[in-house]
Parts: sequence; C-alpha cells; structure tokens
Amino acid sequence: MDAIRGHIRSAGSTRKDRGPISADESYREVLEQAVIENLHAGETRVLEMIARGNSLPEVLDALTRFIETQADGIHCSMSFVDAEFRIRPTSAPTLPSEYNGKLDGVPIFPYIGPCGMAAYLKQQVTSENIEADYRWSDGFRSLTRQHGLKACCSTPILDSRGSVVGTFAIYLERPCAPTAHHLGLIEMAARLAGIAIERQLKEERLHLYAEVISRSTEAIRISDCNDRIAEQNAAHRELFGLTDEEIKAKTSAMIFGEEQSVRVLAVLNEDDQFNGELLATIKGQPRLIDVSAFAVKNHDKKTVCYVALSRDVTEKWQAEKALKDSHAALESLVAQRTLALQQALDESKRAQDELRRSEAFLAEGQNLSRSGNFSWIVATDEIRWSEQLYRIFEFEPGTRVTLDLIGSRVHPEDLTLMYDMVAKARGASSDFEYAQRLLMPDGSIKHLHLAAHANRDREGRLEYIGAVQDVTQRRLSEESLAKARSELTKIARITSLGVLTASIAHEVNQPLSGIITNASTCLRMLSADSPNLEGARETARRTIRDGNRASDVIARLRTLHSKKDLEPEVTDLNEAAREVTSLSLSELHRNRVILRQEFTENLPPVMADRIQLQQVILNLLRNASDAMRTVEDRPRELLIQTERDEGNQVRLSVKDVGVGFPPQAMDKLFEAFFTTKSDGMGIGLSISRSIIEAHHGRLWAIANPGPGATFSFAIPCQLGGFARTETGRDRIHQATDAA
Amino acid sequence: MDALGTGAHCLVMRSDQGSSAAERPLVSVVDDDESVRESLPDLLREFGLAARAFSSAEEFLSSDCIGETRCLILDIAMPKMSGLELYAALRDRSQGIPVIFITAQTDEKVQARMLEQGAAGFLLKPFSDTDLLAAVNTALGAD
Repeated sequence: MDAIRGHIRSAGSTRKDRGPISADESYREVLEQAVIENLHAGETRVLEMIARGNSLPEVLDALTRFIETQADGIHCSMSFVDAEFRIRPTSAPTLPSEYNGKLDGVPIFPYIGPCGMAAYLKQQVTSENIEADYRWSDGFRSLTRQHGLKACCSTPILDSRGSVVGTFAIYLERPCAPTAHHLGLIEMAARLAGIAIERQLKEERLHLYAEVISRSTEAIRISDCNDRIAEQNAAHRELFGLTDEEIKAKTSAMIFGEEQSVRVLAVLNEDDQFNGELLATIKGQPRLIDVSAFAVKNHDKKTVCYVALSRDVTEKWQAEKALKDSHAALESLVAQRTLALQQALDESKRAQDELRRSEAFLAEGQNLSRSGNFSWIVATDEIRWSEQLYRIFEFEPGTRVTLDLIGSRVHPEDLTLMYDMVAKARGASSDFEYAQRLLMPDGSIKHLHLAAHANRDREGRLEYIGAVQDVTQRRLSEESLAKARSELTKIARITSLGVLTASIAHEVNQPLSGIITNASTCLRMLSADSPNLEGARETARRTIRDGNRASDVIARLRTLHSKKDLEPEVTDLNEAAREVTSLSLSELHRNRVILRQEFTENLPPVMADRIQLQQVILNLLRNASDAMRTVEDRPRELLIQTERDEGNQVRLSVKDVGVGFPPQAMDKLFEAFFTTKSDGMGIGLSISRSIIEAHHGRLWAIANPGPGATFSFAIPCQLGGFARTETGRDRIHQATDAA
Repeated sequence: MDALGTGAHCLVMRSDQGSSAAERPLVSVVDDDESVRESLPDLLREFGLAARAFSSAEEFLSSDCIGETRCLILDIAMPKMSGLELYAALRDRSQGIPVIFITAQTDEKVQARMLEQGAAGFLLKPFSDTDLLAAVNTALGAD
C-alpha cells in the first residue's frame, strides 16, 4: 500500500508546482484514493477473518481472490512450504487445478520456478518473460506456456521468526515487469498471508500442545494463580478420581492438605518449580504422589498459572517399603540365622569340648578302674584297643593288635580257653563274658575279666565291642582276705579253745574236787577207832562216780579235738539232731525227761561241722534236762524243734519246763566260768556259742512265758565261709537283744 | 595220834571222843554243787566239826543256823546270790562269821579282793583235806 502511495506521491512530485489540477489529475487522485480505500478495506476484511479464527484455507482463498480483483489480468497463487521444504499450492482461484497439481510437492529449488527460488532465497523473484527466462526449468516453462502464463512475480511468506512458510505469486498473461501496483499487492498479500499462516501455525501448535496434554499419561492439571484448578487431563481425572466439575471446585490444598499445599506454593514462588512427593487421600486411600509443578509467568513476571504433573508413586512407595521391609526381614532372618549358626557352632564346640572331656574321663576312668575297651570286627579280625588296654597288656600304644599278639600274653593254661571263646564268638553273634589270666614278660600274672557285646557295624559286619578289666588286685585282695579269714578263724578257734580249756578245766575240777574230798573222808572214816564202813563205802562210791564224770569230760575233749580243723560238710540239721537225741534217750529217761521232737521236714541243708553242731545240741539237751531236775509238779517235757528261719537260715530250739533263769542272769549264762551245773558234763554254753558263731549263726536264750527257758540257735543254709568271732561280750548283747 | 600222818595240827576234837554235838563248832557249807554238799560235810565231820550244807545263799540266810555258824564255807559262783553277795549281806547284818571262799578263780586280783573284803581264806578246787583243815583252823582260830 505504501508502495502505491509512495509511487503516487513520487509521481505527483514531478510537478514543480501545484497549479490548478486537471480533471485527469483529480480523477486520478480520486481513483487512487478509491484504490487505496479498497485495498484498505480488503486488508481489514482479511485481518478480521484471521482474528475471527477462520480456517487458513478460507482466509488464504479470500485473500487471493481479493488480490486478483485489484488488478487486471493477474492470477494469484498462494503456496505453503511444508516441513520437507516442498511447495504446496493452497490457493490459486483462477489457475487451473492441473497447474497446481503439477507444482504440488515440488521441492524448493532455485531453478525450477520463481516460487521455488523465492522460497529458497527468501527474496522476491521476478520473471518478466518466463519463456525466455532460462533460469527456469523446461518443465516449468512448458507448464506456464501451456496455461498462458507469461510473467511471474513471487514473494516468500515469512513467519515472525523469518522462516519461509510459503510463497505468494502473481502471474501475468503478458510478458512484462510487474507494476508498482502489482508489487504493492504482492507485498500486502504476502504480509497478510504470513499473518494468517503464522496464526494458523500457532493455532496448530496450541492444538498440538493441548492434544499432548490431553493425551499424556502424566496427570496434568493447570491451576490459576489462586491455586484453583482450571484444567485437568484424562490421566489426572483417572488418578484423582474427580470429574472435571469436581476438580474445578478444588484447590490443590483440598487434595494435598493445607500444610503440604502451602509448602509447595512457597517453593513455587521461590524457585518457579517444585519437585517432591506429597501425600494425598484419593478415593479414601492414602497415596503418595510425586509432583512436578512449575509456574507460568507473563511478561511482567507475574504468575499466570501453575502447571503440575502428578504421578502416583504409591505402588512404588509401597514396593519400596515392601522391599525395605523385606530387606529388614531378610536382615533379621540373616541375623537370626547367623545367631542360630553361631549358637550351633557354640553348641558344636561345647559338644566337642564335652566329648573331649568325656573321652578324658573315660580314659581316666579306664585308667583308674584298670579297664580298657576293644572292638573286634570278626570278618577281618580287625582289632582296636583303647590306650588303657595297651597298658594292661603292656604293649606300646598304637601297635597293631592281632589275635596272635593277644595270645602271646595269655597264660598258657588259659590259651585254649581263649581260642575256644574266639571260635564261639565267631560262630554265634551273642554277648560273651569270661575270665582269663595273662602271663607277663616279667613272669607276673594278671587276672582279667572280659565282657563283650555283639553289634553290627555300619556295613553290617559282625563286630564285638567290649571292656576288659584287670581284676588282679581284686583277686589278690580276695585271696588275702580269704587267708586273713582263715587266720582269724584259727585265732577264733584258739580263743574259743582258751575258753574251751577254761571250761574243761572247770568241768574237770568239779569231779576232781569231789574225788579228793570224798577219798579224804573215806580214809579218815576207815582210820577211825571204830571205822565208819558205811560212810567209807559211800564216799568210795562217790569217788568212783566223780572219777567217771571226769573221764567223760576227757572223752568229750578227745572227740572235740579229734577234728583239728573245721571241716564243713553239707549237713541235714534234722538228721544230726536225731542222732543226738537217740544217743541221749537213755540218759534223758533216767532223768525222767519226756522228749518231744518237732522237726520241720525238708529243711534246707547247711554247710556245717556236723560233730560240733551235735556237741551244741547235746549241750542244750543236757542243760534243759538239768534245769528240770527239781521239777516234780509237772511232767519234765523237753521239746526239741527245727524250722526254717527268716533270712535263709535254719533254727533249732530246745525248750524245757525247768527252773528257768532270771533276766539278770542272762548275761552270765554264756560267760565262760558260769555254770549252774552240779556235774560238769559236756561243754559249756560259751563254747556252744563260739561254735555257732563260727557257723555264721547265733545262739540265744529266752525265758518261756511259763516255766523254763528255750535255747535256740540259727545258722545260715549252705554257708560259704566261716566268720571270725567277735568278743563274747558283744555276742551276748546281741543274743540278749534277739531274745 | 595222827593216823593220816599229815602232821596237821588238829584243834578239832574227833567225833568219837564223845564230845557233845553242842560243843562242836558248826561249819555251814553253801554250794549249789550237789557233790560238794555231799562230800564236804562228811569230811568236816571227820575233823570233829559239825557241818550243815545249804544249796543256796538264800537258803542259809533263811535258816536258823546263822547264829550258830562258827565258820562259813562259800562257793563264790552260784546262781542267784553269789558267795560274795552273801558275805556282803552278812557283813551288813554285822554278823561277823569267818568265811572261806571256794573258788575256781586263779586270778590273783580276785583272790586279793577276797582277802581285802575280809575273807578268812579261800580254797581252790580241787583242794586237799589238809588245805581244808588249815583254812578251817584259821577261820575258827580267828574267832
């Protein structure tokens, strides 16, 4: 327009003076004014179209048509330049469509046609005579020739940044240079088209951005400077579960809480952006939202709006939390396992220590008890010994043990026994136990006791595991004990012999005394002036009687001493007692004693010196008989009894109905020098007691409930040995207690 | 005229000398042994003594001979009251009868004890008539 104006003005300025304007000049001025106004109106119309938002094709079409109305014989062509720098004719109302079609997609290139060159050079390009213009391609010239286009003027359309967005060209039907008017039109068209296109592009970009926001999987919201949410995309709707109406009623504070929101806004205002995780309650559930927000400011640096991108990282948070928990759990598990492992290790160590200790104990125990262990795998004769066993056999520990090695130590007399046991053990598979002797290199003898237990080892082979004990000490002890016992028994016998001697002496003294007294009397009687023959006879008789008594005692003594050593034999008490009673019957009858015998049948036998026991029984019978000497008012019953006694013993009792004895005399009864007998026959109670005690038994007396006393002895059945006698006093006390 | 030829000095009159029974000192014998009770009094009578025998200390104590008894011959070992106990009992009664103990005890300690207790003598069984006579004489002489 300006160009036109400028041209008109320059045309006018050739007149030096303004003299009177001719009619042509005023017409031309009016015409020029009309043209200018027309152009102006057209421009306005197009601008309005642009402002109103008419589509680009509409606008460009209107523009092109308008331009064509402003000059004769011109054809306009509006083209875009696309992203690939190709011409895209968009509006050419008066050009045939074939023409446009041919040009469509032609790359910008200077030497095809003026539009291409214009776009390429970003300059206006004029071609006054297309046909003769060899700048253009044949194809283009032929095309233009075909459609009667002779001249062209093309202008690039630029956007606000100066980039080529299109071209605008005027074609003329005559070869000529474009007029000023033409140029003006071109300029206007290019300018308006640029605006329109620019606007279109802007629209398209906006539309693109809107589409991006809309389609984004990121939840995006836009809130105004008052934090009121203006827009949300679908993803945001999805995430927060609020419709567009609902969201528009909210501020971010309502979603994230006052505290968080305040914090965010503070940061936004400070840094223009915020990145962080916020807690929100969505659909009733607490969720963690990762928020990236920024402020959009205008030229005055005032915030226009806030844009926020939200991502639900709850899962991530939960996953992280779960991972953390899982880690913690794992760590705890590991710690537990480590602890357990440590404990197990400690246990194991403790167990090992225990094992070591018990092994030490075992070794110690074996050492102390002189016992050792062995194992013997029968199939291979593989023998293993514990250390102690090596010591017992006196071999170097670690020496390979074979049966022959063992045999080399075994006492020759026991060798067959050993091999027999070995053979038996091979055959059977049962536990065995036996004793054998060893003959050591130094000639000493060891007594061994062996016990073995049959086993199957891991491979199922027969294996004996056993223990061997050196019982030499024990054997020796037993032997010395036996010897000591025998010594003591001898001493006991000697002691009782002392007692016996005293008793015999006493027994003999009685008749001796009588002999001497009576004989003395006899002599005196005979030597009297008138001899007392009757008296002499009596005293002589007494003398003989006493002499007989004395010889009886001697006879007893002989019988007693004919058995030097106690020779125990299996004795039936009943039988022994019967022998005594049958021998004594005549004597008892002479004393008017009625004998009753109650012998328990099948009494278990005793190991006893038969004669000695019979001595005792005789003693008891005689004592009983003596005790009843003065009994006149009742039958002189003498009961002899045998029975089993508790503790695997047999008892013999002799019961009389005689004078008995008072309790205080009990102590004296068994004393060596005490006797109630007027005639000392047989052996005293103290000797009887010694005999019984040598048989491991006891002899005691009790006063009967009625008249008389019962004397009893009890001895064990099948006695193995003889006890040494304790002092007589102790025994008496015991008997008293028993009684 | 000692037909025995023992040379024992005999204080005692012979029984056939016609002394009255009352003039003969009474010797009481206490012994549970029957043969002693049989033989000893006879021998004593041959010595010209009167003799009585008792089978126990209790019997003697309950008899009427205590006052008459000029000499007591006691067996130590007796059932119930022993000779020693009888002696003690008599002493308590202030009846100082000379006592001769018959004992089988050879223990010197016991013998010493007997003498301490005031026994006039003791006889060890078996004793000869000479020992008996000597002891009785001592006992009666001590009176």
